[in-house]
Amino acid sequence: MAGGSFLLFSKFLVALVLCVSLTSAHASVRSEYEVKAAFFYNFTRFVSWTQPPEKESPLRVCVIGDNPFGDLLQPLAGRKSQGRELELTNPKDLSAAAGCHVLFVSESELRNLPVIITLAQEGHMLTISEIPDFIGRGGIIGYVKQGNIIRFEINLQAANAAGVNINSRLLELASRVIQ
Amino acid sequence: MMGRWRWRYWPLKTKLLFLTLFTSTLGIVLVCTSLVFVENQNYRQQLESELHVIAGILAEQSAAALLFKDNEQLTNIISSLRKIETIKQACVFDTSGMLMSALYSAGDTGCPDISEQPPVGFVGDYYRLSLPVTLDDDTVGHIYLISHLEALKAHIQTFIFVALGIGVLIQLILVFVAFKLQRVVSQPILELSGAAERIALEHDYSIRAPVYGNDELGRLGTTFNDMIGTIEQQNRRILESRDGLERTVEDRTSQLSLANKELEAFSYSVSHDLRQPLRAIEGFGRALEEDCANLLNESGKDHLRRIRAASVRMGGLIDGLLVLSRVSRQPMESQRLNLSEMLQDIAEELSDLSKPLPTEVCIQPDMWVVGDGRMLRIAFQNLLENAWKYSAKEQARVIEVSATSEANYIMIAIQDNGVGFDMRYVDKLFVAFNRLHTPSEFGGTGIGLATVNRVILRHHGNISARSEVGKGAKFCVRLPVPA
Repeated sequence: MAGGSFLLFSKFLVALVLCVSLTSAHASVRSEYEVKAAFFYNFTRFVSWTQPPEKESPLRVCVIGDNPFGDLLQPLAGRKSQGRELELTNPKDLSAAAGCHVLFVSESELRNLPVIITLAQEGHMLTISEIPDFIGRGGIIGYVKQGNIIRFEINLQAANAAGVNINSRLLELASRVIQ
Repeated sequence: MMGRWRWRYWPLKTKLLFLTLFTSTLGIVLVCTSLVFVENQNYRQQLESELHVIAGILAEQSAAALLFKDNEQLTNIISSLRKIETIKQACVFDTSGMLMSALYSAGDTGCPDISEQPPVGFVGDYYRLSLPVTLDDDTVGHIYLISHLEALKAHIQTFIFVALGIGVLIQLILVFVAFKLQRVVSQPILELSGAAERIALEHDYSIRAPVYGNDELGRLGTTFNDMIGTIEQQNRRILESRDGLERTVEDRTSQLSLANKELEAFSYSVSHDLRQPLRAIEGFGRALEEDCANLLNESGKDHLRRIRAASVRMGGLIDGLLVLSRVSRQPMESQRLNLSEMLQDIAEELSDLSKPLPTEVCIQPDMWVVGDGRMLRIAFQNLLENAWKYSAKEQARVIEVSATSEANYIMIAIQDNGVGFDMRYVDKLFVAFNRLHTPSEFGGTGIGLATVNRVILRHHGNISARSEVGKGAKFCVRLPVPA
């Protein structure tokens, strides 16, 4: 009876500590995806296209595969980047992704990656992903985590091939650049 | 001592030099001051715009790093400011006002709170600048820069030194130029004043001032020379006419003295020569009276007596004339005399001679005059004799002599209680041979007062008379008293 109650108490205690630590962490530092979502928006502000879309047309931002951001990307919808409104879509498959300007590739699409990369290059899309060594696989911008800090890498070759120009200021901030 | 430093004692050269240099100094100081002011403004503006450019570049560079919260990159960017020495402090804030990165110089306090709107512009010894970091019209952070103004101060200091140096150099050149140029103005004036002084000192009216050009100074010189020319001419004319006058006076004087000498000689010889036959008439008349008295009847004796009396009177006349001519001719010997004593002597002599009559002579004591003793004695003897004579028919004789002093003169009044005279004939009183009384009333030659007048005139004095018939006469003699 005493052992059982102690176990129960300790479980409760662990749960409490976890809960407190999680909430406090949540309150003090922004979560990984919050930071990534902010980065996501900021990427669009330092990128231009060699064949510029019409000024007034919205900038289509697509997330392919499982959306790891949840609702965190929603605030971006309607915000302006370089004078263009952002339009969020979640295409079901690759064919539906045609016409996107920025393409976030979910880790769930790891298998289709070469196809997506090829398609995106042809569609002059800026590809962003948190897939490890994304830029080594032909992607343009990949998130990396250095300790607790979120950073990013840029494949300039891939960007040039896709007709996407990356602002040098962004390049300066990248932790690795493939030229 | 202080007076020598007053403006009006300064020489003309110094005044001109001072005026020129004062004006130029004022001009230089004003120009330098305004240049320093303008330079200060310009430099501030330049500094301001430079800092704005720096801040702009910084903002542009740090926008991405701010967005991605890349402090490392921000620090890199900001570190580049270290090369700019004027930057004292640089702070980068994100949108929420949180300090992202900062650059401090030694002894610096921390960055201010950007949300409280820290001071901007030239505050104290620093220039402060706050600039928003924008990306596509979207503020993504703030930059706050503080620059110290040592460079500005040093620059202005150098500028002031250079301006001072140039000012002093210009002033030195101006001193030299002014020293040379003031002669253009002062030289003619100095020469003119020198010429005027020489003329005044040497009375040499042939001196002329040199004339330069045709400006006011030139005209002044010309006018001055014309004036001196006129003076010279007039002077010559005056001198000529003076010479002429002197010659004329000399001529006249010599003529006059010649005539005078002739006249004196004539009157002396006449008097002298007249005396001879007169003495013969009188002498032989007396001989006739003494020797042939028994041969003459009473009428003849009377005629003879009249002849003798007339000859005696004529002798008196001649004596009077001789005295008159003597007092006119004789050289004077001036000395100080006690007039009271002299009058007393004369009065005593007169009282000895005349008929006994109650006589009261009152002479003021201690009257002193300056003049020739013999001449003055003749004059006052005549005056007292007159007073004596014309008061002889009164019950009692009263003669009073008094003196009053005026400035540089002494006035001697001789008052008697005699018969007096009619003021209508006062003009004839002092002319020779003019008599106001018949010889039967009072004896006399008519020369006495003329002699008195001559003596007083020769002493540079004058004589006047006041009277009323029957109420006595008053003779006033005015004699100068030498200081």
